Amino acid sequence: MDGELLSDTFVELTDTMVAGFDVIDFLHMLTDRSVALLDVEAAGLLLADPRGELRVVAASSEAVRLIELFQLQNDQGPCLDCFRSGRPVQATDLAAEAGRWPRFASAARQAGFGAVQALPMRLREQVIGALNLFRADPGAFAAADIRVGQALADVATIGLLHERSMRRRDTLNEQLQTALNSRVVIEQAKGKLAERLGVDMDQAFSLLRDFARARNRRLSELAQAFVDGTETLIGLTRQQPRPGSQREPRA
Amino acid sequence: MAAVVAPLAGAARMAVSRQGRIWGLVAAEAANRGGQVSASDACAAAVAAVQVTGGWLSAASGAEPAGHLMSVTDAVSERLAELQLMLGEGPCPDAVGYGDLVLASDLGELEADRRWPVFVPAARRAGAAAMFAFPLRIGAIQTGVMGLYRDRAGPLSDVQLGDALIFADTAALLLISADEAGETAAGSGPGGQPADLAGHRAEIDQATGMLTEQLGVGITEAFIRLRAYAYAHDRALADLARDIVARRLRLGPDPGPSEDGWRDGTPHR
Repeated sequence: MDGELLSDTFVELTDTMVAGFDVIDFLHMLTDRSVALLDVEAAGLLLADPRGELRVVAASSEAVRLIELFQLQNDQGPCLDCFRSGRPVQATDLAAEAGRWPRFASAARQAGFGAVQALPMRLREQVIGALNLFRADPGAFAAADIRVGQALADVATIGLLHERSMRRRDTLNEQLQTALNSRVVIEQAKGKLAERLGVDMDQAFSLLRDFARARNRRLSELAQAFVDGTETLIGLTRQQPRPGSQREPRA
Repeated sequence: MAAVVAPLAGAARMAVSRQGRIWGLVAAEAANRGGQVSASDACAAAVAAVQVTGGWLSAASGAEPAGHLMSVTDAVSERLAELQLMLGEGPCPDAVGYGDLVLASDLGELEADRRWPVFVPAARRAGAAAMFAFPLRIGAIQTGVMGLYRDRAGPLSDVQLGDALIFADTAALLLISADEAGETAAGSGPGGQPADLAGHRAEIDQATGMLTEQLGVGITEAFIRLRAYAYAHDRALADLARDIVARRLRLGPDPGPSEDGWRDGTPHR
């Protein structure tokens, strides 16, 4: 593991907590850095909602197939096992996991992954979610990777709480809901932008995030304003409509 | 390393039954009242289930995101709702303004007094010692706020909070359903429970966003139309959303001869 990249990453993450913090942007950065730091190809952060459902709040790629892999784990998979037990869960060869997680293992392999790891997000005695890591090649995860991965999961938890005083027990619950709500707004904004520009969801997310950073605005606020119609994203790259797509005049 | 105690809430397999249980409580409330399930029933059922003293529901009214007091369970609730509307200060205005949950488990705390200096003394005089405000929203769709109060200080337990949030989600969906004239709980599953309460899918949110562009409407209207389309064509909401996101299906604003208010666009290659 690149030691300099490791320390740069933690400096960057803690810096972000100080200036213009947006929880979804922060968590997304964390999944991005997880992929850069660890020997993995994809990463996602899942949080449990009040129903106990695991919901993806950030992922290193917004590609539909990857997001689906996270959503599948509500039913079965390493994240669910990790969430229930509060302990790391690993599968070093997904080809051998058909018995343990039949649907998940099959979907993950079809998506091109050979090994998976889930690390718990914990606060004191509560498990609030999981960091999910995917690797293309089967094989054990290095001990150093697991240690750093768990540290990243812990930083994610801290990031969720940093905005307000940690005195009150209510704070974690409030912050969890904020993160979950913000994610929904961002999904709605992605859809609107993807349709407007004729791009896919991954590109739509990148455009929103880049625009927010360039204008020094919080991603969640920008997404809300865009969906509300109070933000027109003037200056965002305008692309030609895709060939064959119909652009109906606005009423 | 110390063993980690049980997670915050039940795991996914219990998720459906927890939502189902709460829907059952809401439906029972409506049955006792002798009417169709409404958001007010969700509020009343929440008060009983979560063991608070009283609660109220305010819905959007014109430009006011929570200007219309829809229901109260007791006189104190009415007083608390009115105070906040009048003063523009309190957990509910904060919940609406920021779109976030506000949990004030002890109105006697210095922090509460600092945050709502005019509201808190009046609220305590009225009989409230703790207050919890839940914005009723699905992302950018905001339809109102649910307020709960207790006559003694103390936080909601994890289970109570989880239940309250599910009641709030249910109330939000019922409020949206009630917007469509005469049509409630569109897309019902077994027992009349709205199908999309069963589980969250990112595609549903994305498809809603896409429809704002395809139909040229606001986000709330887009969601109503999405659910109405699923209901009218007898399709699972998540499946329909997947088709829209994958651009296999496109909805257009032109009513055309079918008079449904929408038209299926030509599928993209």
